[in-house]
Amino acid sequence: MREVLRLEHIQKYYGNGGNITKAIRDISFSVEEGEFLGIMGASGSGKTTLLNCISTIDTVSAGHIFLDGRDVTEIREKEIARFRRENLGFIFQDFNLLDTLTISENIALALTISKVPSGEVEGRVREIARRLNIEEILDRYPWQVSGGQKQRCACARAVVNHPKLILADEPTGALDSHSSRMLLGTISGMNEQLGATILMVTHDSFSASYAKRILFLRDGEIFTEIRRGTASRKEFFDRILDVLTMMGGGSDAVL
Amino acid sequence: MLYFRMILRNAKRSARDYLIYFVTMTLCVTLFYGFLSVTSRYYDPDLGVEYDLDFMSDGMKLAICLVSLLLLFLIWYVNRYMIRRRQKEFALQTIMGMERGVTAALFFAETLIMGLLSVVCGILLGMLGSQFITAMLLQSYGRPFRLTWTLFPDTAVLTLLFFLLAYLIMGAWNTRMIRKIPVIDMLHAERKNEEDFRKSRWMPVLTLLYGILLCWMTATGISKAYFYWDPRYALPVHLMFGFNILFPGAALLYGVLWLMMPGKRVGKKKRGRSFRVLIAGWLFLSLASACAAAVVSPVSMDFYLPTGAGTLNQYMMFLIADIIYFICALIYLANDGICMIKERFPKIRYRGENLFLFGQIVSKLRTTTKTVTLICITLTLSICLFLAVPFLAGWADGYLEQRSVYDIQISTQYNDTYEESELPDDNYDFVTAYLEEQKIKIKDDCTFSLYLLVRDEFDQRVKYDFPVAAIALSDYNHLLTMRGYEPITLDDDEFTTQWQSIAAEETKKEFLAGHREMSTDSGTLKLSEEGIYDFALGETLYNTYTDLVYVFPDSVCENLLAVNRNRYITTEESVPLEKALELERIFSENYPETEQGTHYYIRTSSQQINSTTAMAFILRAAMTYSAVVLLVICFTILALQQLSDLPDWKQRFGLLRDIGVEDSHISRIILIQLGVWFGIPVGISGAVSAVVMGYFFRMYRAQISAYIGKAELTVQTGAIAVILLGLLLCYFVSTWQMCLVGSAGKNWCRE
Repeated sequence: MREVLRLEHIQKYYGNGGNITKAIRDISFSVEEGEFLGIMGASGSGKTTLLNCISTIDTVSAGHIFLDGRDVTEIREKEIARFRRENLGFIFQDFNLLDTLTISENIALALTISKVPSGEVEGRVREIARRLNIEEILDRYPWQVSGGQKQRCACARAVVNHPKLILADEPTGALDSHSSRMLLGTISGMNEQLGATILMVTHDSFSASYAKRILFLRDGEIFTEIRRGTASRKEFFDRILDVLTMMGGGSDAVL
Repeated sequence: MLYFRMILRNAKRSARDYLIYFVTMTLCVTLFYGFLSVTSRYYDPDLGVEYDLDFMSDGMKLAICLVSLLLLFLIWYVNRYMIRRRQKEFALQTIMGMERGVTAALFFAETLIMGLLSVVCGILLGMLGSQFITAMLLQSYGRPFRLTWTLFPDTAVLTLLFFLLAYLIMGAWNTRMIRKIPVIDMLHAERKNEEDFRKSRWMPVLTLLYGILLCWMTATGISKAYFYWDPRYALPVHLMFGFNILFPGAALLYGVLWLMMPGKRVGKKKRGRSFRVLIAGWLFLSLASACAAAVVSPVSMDFYLPTGAGTLNQYMMFLIADIIYFICALIYLANDGICMIKERFPKIRYRGENLFLFGQIVSKLRTTTKTVTLICITLTLSICLFLAVPFLAGWADGYLEQRSVYDIQISTQYNDTYEESELPDDNYDFVTAYLEEQKIKIKDDCTFSLYLLVRDEFDQRVKYDFPVAAIALSDYNHLLTMRGYEPITLDDDEFTTQWQSIAAEETKKEFLAGHREMSTDSGTLKLSEEGIYDFALGETLYNTYTDLVYVFPDSVCENLLAVNRNRYITTEESVPLEKALELERIFSENYPETEQGTHYYIRTSSQQINSTTAMAFILRAAMTYSAVVLLVICFTILALQQLSDLPDWKQRFGLLRDIGVEDSHISRIILIQLGVWFGIPVGISGAVSAVVMGYFFRMYRAQISAYIGKAELTVQTGAIAVILLGLLLCYFVSTWQMCLVGSAGKNWCRE
């Protein structure tokens, strides 16, 4: 499998002088094309900082991040927007849909800013909506649909452009358990049927169990890594809980 | 203590929200105080003994207070904006258990702090504004200006009371609002989009009202044409009457046809489309109807139609109604056009960030259509007022210059004199006696008669055929010397003409072409080589309803019938106002008003200058004040309209940045969006007011060239246009900058 993302000895420090916070101490890993990687960790473990660095929103203090062979830490400020547009897709915790646009227009926006020919836009929107089962709500506004539907729309927006990597930040954070399950099914489907490469940050063991591989962060470092392999999702979930218990946060996650 | 700290903290935190409010309120207070200071008891500029300000004060105070009522609307709008910005916070406070009343009281205290702060700043700036007004006043009276810093306590108290009252009224309204809105609506208000603006009842109601007005206009057109019908009228008059029936009638017919159009009630979309057809038709017909109503006044003036003031006012009202409907329809169609482009042209919709831009604009179309229409109408009024100031004030000043050319003017009118024996032949010696008694030295003095060419003309009393009078050459030369001009010469068989400045060049040439020779009771005279003079010799030199006077050799005048007896006096120093009024009183005792017989008039330049200058100043000050207040209201509301969305902008533009839109594109989107919302009302009102003022300037072109001068008016109008554009630019740039700052930041980076 081709390597899509590679992180080499990433470090991120905040502050200066004697008051330095080490958000990321030293992290290295890689993600292959079509992989569904989960990143777990307690608050302050460096999950979001890591995501910000990968998404080029924040800069690293040391180390390199390669996306499809290109070092994103070397990209000039002027080119960042274009790079993000062409390579990354985002799914936010709070959906981040535009209230001024309908669901279909929200999805189309990702295509239009990538300068997809206007004749293709509607067809592609309809196609992805069919796959994610949101066809009936295409003409509604975000405030007229449920949280789960909103998040599926956000998924459609993230994947419609076929980005090299989809970054999901706590995508089930604002959903109830039923909607979470539906959404995670959708994200899995995106990964398995559409071949999308997904990097999902979460602190929820159940959500993480949908991933194929999980990195556990603690104090800015990778604590351990587990792979699902051929195990069932239930088995994988149990292994996640075991790791969390080992890390000291397991009882919280179980209870 | 906790509440007090909360108020302070909120006021501090909302400082940016309050910035435009604060600046605008300060500007309003500055204007209010500055203009009102002229009426203060303690206000005493050095105008000299011959003038006083008593007459001006009351008129000015009334004008300012009336115009200032408009400010209440602005205060109300800004309060509404603040409530919308803060309602989520109010909802949270309520959920946490705070009484609604306490929330409202906290908000009231907060607005009061900012309001009072703006009153203090406004009064301080108003002291500077007051200097500007004083400079304007002294310039009107032709006096030198010296900078003095004075705080007028009565004006300051009045300003404070006015604005305090305004804040209290608004506070009560706010409290009611905060108590009334359900908590759930407060929490979710910002998430909801407005409904399609085409479903709003605003335009259908306006259109219905306009339809009723069209019925009235058509009926009026028919009744006026019938009432004033005369086949002898020239073609333009017939056309005028015809068009005033044709256009409103055609609009009515079009409305009826539209009502009968099939598919009107089939589904909502279909209805919307057909309504657009009606509005588009009425847009053009309202313009045509406005043109038809606009020509009524000039045609009536040019062809001496017997249309009364009531008819002219009625057509002026129709004209205003047509213009208002035209503006409403134009804005509706412009917004409808935006929606239509979005709905029907996928190529445009899906190009780059257009989809986002359309979303930004269309989501607020319902309220903005209404607000922008009102702003457009108000802005048009404001621009017209601004442009009318130099025109009207220049007219008043120029007219004053033309008529107060001598310190004292005595004149007569024989319009109601039916016997030759009753014609005046007085030298007004009591005036000389009074001036001597008051130790006012006469510099020059000319008593003269005006003659009729032939005796029979004495009975000629038809208004449009009133005889032109003649003056003896020696008297004319005396007047020229009094005014500092060189005397003229004439042969014994020659005559020449002296014209009022208002007369047009074509009229003069046309008249003289038909009057090369003149038959009089003393024989025939021929036109001298220098046939036209137009020295400024005062307007009482001419017979009623005429713009010229003949100048005949003295020997000719000896045998003519003298009908008017005038006396013009210039004095060494200006006659003090008090003495001038006393002289006028003595004169009216000597020559009391009578219904029949000769009418006698006296005019002193002191009294004329005092009253006319005061009137012109009130006119200039009140109009400038109204125009500035309206302009500030329009621009502030336009700016707030955009800024009210700012909290959402951070999320919306943050998302655009997250998904890879460059900052330069985001700036462009913001610029286009502001350009649309500022551009539509400013563009339309600019165009409409240019046409309206062009129409007025054309209608009064004779007065403009006589009293102001075309070049002078062009320069002044141009200067005002530049100032207005500058103000617009200031508001636009500051709103744009605030929007850029407000839209900065990314959503992804939250920690």
